[in-house]
Amino acid sequence: MSSAVQIPEREVALADLPIDQHRGWYAMWCVIATEFMLFVCMFGAYYYLGTNKYRWAQEMPPKLLYPIILLAILLSSSFVLKWGESQVKAENFGAARLALWLAVIMGLGFLALQTVEYVSHWKELTPYSDSYGSIFYAITSLHAIHVIAGLLMLSYVGVLPRYGETRGSPHRAYETVALYWHFVDFVWILIVVLLYVIPKLQGMPYGH
Amino acid sequence: MSTAAAEQRLASLWETPKTLHGWFATVDHKELGLRYLFTAFAFLIVGGVEALLMRIQLSRADMTFLSPEAYNQIFTMHGATMIFWYASPILSGFAVYLVPLMIGARDMAFPRLNAFTYWTYLFSGIFLYLAPILRQAPHAGWFAYVPYTLTLYSPSLGMDIYALALIFLTISTTGGAINFIITILRLRAPGMAISRMPLFLYSTLTVSCVILFALPALTAACIFLELDRRWGTHFFAIANGGNPFLWQQLFWFFGHPWVYVIFLPATGMISLIIPVFSRRPVVGYPYIAISTILTGVVGFGVWLHHMFTVGMSDMAMSFFSAGSMTIAIFTTVQVFAWVATLAKGRPVPTTSMYYAVSSVALLVIGGLSGVFTGVIPVDWQVHNTYYVVAHIHYVLIGSNVFPVFAAFYYWLPKMTGRMMNETLGKCSFWIMFIGFNLGFFPMHNLGLMGMPRRVFTYQRGLGFDSLNMLVTIGAFIFGIGILISIINLLISLRSGALAGKNPWNSDGLEWETSSPPQPYGTVHIPVVVSRHPLWDDFEEEWDPDDVRILDQGRLTPTTTWLDAQPIGIATIPSDTLAPLMLSIVMFAFFVFMLVQWVWVALATLIATFLIGCYWMWPRAYADKEIA
Repeated sequence: MSSAVQIPEREVALADLPIDQHRGWYAMWCVIATEFMLFVCMFGAYYYLGTNKYRWAQEMPPKLLYPIILLAILLSSSFVLKWGESQVKAENFGAARLALWLAVIMGLGFLALQTVEYVSHWKELTPYSDSYGSIFYAITSLHAIHVIAGLLMLSYVGVLPRYGETRGSPHRAYETVALYWHFVDFVWILIVVLLYVIPKLQGMPYGH
Repeated sequence: MSTAAAEQRLASLWETPKTLHGWFATVDHKELGLRYLFTAFAFLIVGGVEALLMRIQLSRADMTFLSPEAYNQIFTMHGATMIFWYASPILSGFAVYLVPLMIGARDMAFPRLNAFTYWTYLFSGIFLYLAPILRQAPHAGWFAYVPYTLTLYSPSLGMDIYALALIFLTISTTGGAINFIITILRLRAPGMAISRMPLFLYSTLTVSCVILFALPALTAACIFLELDRRWGTHFFAIANGGNPFLWQQLFWFFGHPWVYVIFLPATGMISLIIPVFSRRPVVGYPYIAISTILTGVVGFGVWLHHMFTVGMSDMAMSFFSAGSMTIAIFTTVQVFAWVATLAKGRPVPTTSMYYAVSSVALLVIGGLSGVFTGVIPVDWQVHNTYYVVAHIHYVLIGSNVFPVFAAFYYWLPKMTGRMMNETLGKCSFWIMFIGFNLGFFPMHNLGLMGMPRRVFTYQRGLGFDSLNMLVTIGAFIFGIGILISIINLLISLRSGALAGKNPWNSDGLEWETSSPPQPYGTVHIPVVVSRHPLWDDFEEEWDPDDVRILDQGRLTPTTTWLDAQPIGIATIPSDTLAPLMLSIVMFAFFVFMLVQWVWVALATLIATFLIGCYWMWPRAYADKEIA
């Protein structure tokens, strides 16, 4: 039965094996999977609510300028963090820490600019005006909450005494948190495409 | 080093001190598993008492034992308690206790997360039961359809507590699912390749993945509901462009996969118990494993069958009707595998076997009525009648409560170290089995006669009277059966025969540990070369040079996820109060969200972050780390 599977040596000296560094990393992928589904449900609700409505996104597409700038900020913060990860690998911990705090500052900039966008947007649309406003603000503010969570996690890693391979946990805290941050950025790409760009294109025949 | 010295050293590393601090701080999966089982069983009792109250009200026509409002609250609490706080957590309890033992690991992959998921589970249950204490219990059924659950029709705090308690619980369930996935994929003993895993691990792994992808829909739905109720948004109310069916779509997108979350681990337990008491390996191991996974996958394509009466395109209805029937194929594969195992083996009539085999029979009845309701015209006829109530109870009691009792009779000797009384057990089984069928089978007839569900009473002369009386009698008999098993457990704890390592002569690694198991499991990390390690000449001790003791710290081996080749050792953190503190702060957060004290709620969130940092901080728990 199942003889194709290799049978390990009984004499394997377990204590000599390296300390596992990957559990947290894999768990973060699971967190991302479930968080991604949360956004998928939100997007699903967005389209479900949008069927047969007298007023929907294409009637009043949100301005594209702010989200594009926000996207640029988040994407570049991801690249900075990616560079930081390579510095961790090269055991250049000072540079890695610098990259991380740079990403934190960019994330704060994102939040500040999104606040400005909310303020300008608020005149036309609030969460209380109708279902479109409700779902629009629900999705974007849920993303903002993820940005805040990401920033808190990044700043926790920012004050950790050391990175790289460690004997005790947390293992690979830098890479794990960076992975979450990349996910937050990826969701913003989806939001820009689904909530801003596509309604803009759909609204063009109406002269918006 | 002698084995005794190793034992002593391992015990000093892994034992939780029996102090008050130790009780609250423990991360031992066996302790947490027992607490899970105890808490979930307590919720079963509470939910069961609620069911009996309803049955008293329905025993005769025009009864006034409960007011309509009280009846609504009680059936809502009964459904929510049983579905969310009993059915899934009790299986998590078995998994938390058994998974590390079954895979030969010393603990779960994330023991503190394990403690955290237990505490959040407990606190979310307490949070839910704040509602009846405040006399404002939710009253719109466990699936809480809008618009009835919006503030216009349901102004009390009940539905807010329902929504927030469920969001709270999803945190716990998701954390548990992640923990199971990583534990099963990374911490299996060397040699326990994926083709040699006990089938219970397949079902636990499958439902953990299902939880990751299904539960966010419930979270989203509950967030929308709470925003609509208290924060002025318009997701569900038609007046401002909302859509009440959004709730149904999201809820059932979660809800139907959840049925398999409740059901699959129980089938996994049956797949372990029936072969042991048939004295042969299970028939069709790969087919059971594959149909378990496929049930989880296809379970995502059937949710609309809860909504056939809502009104939708024929295309959508046909697709989801076909999807619902497809599921039956995978369940049937498992049922035939069990029946073949019984037929090819030499069955031993133990209490556990009684429960396991009867659950297969009940599952077939419940499954068949499910196939009927999957047929659209039939569904239109029986929708919202007692036929559906009969169906859900045959499926959930047949595939959850009976397997859970089979598992209790099978694994309790391992957990307590003492055997249960077989005579009393069989007595309990027959009373439960007769009571259950007496109580729930007539519901099929009542449903076909047109008795609507969730109505607090019925009029005389509709022909419902005698059958309803029968149902009530059956429900009480069922309750007595459960009571006898509880008495059996108490007697067994006091004076049961000592179980020894492997009372049933089973095949799984968990039976290699002492009963009850040592906090560290086995002294030597086992090496597995077959699907049934203890049936093939397995010698955990076969480690002449003591290279598989791993007592240099709180350590357990990690292996590759397919072949289980050893690739590393995982450090396991020691006891800490952080998970409990985090759960308490989150409980406070949900209470403040309930009363809408936003700034205080925000403060608790900051506290959550700080406790998280304390939890994760490298020095905070380094006391027993590897030197």
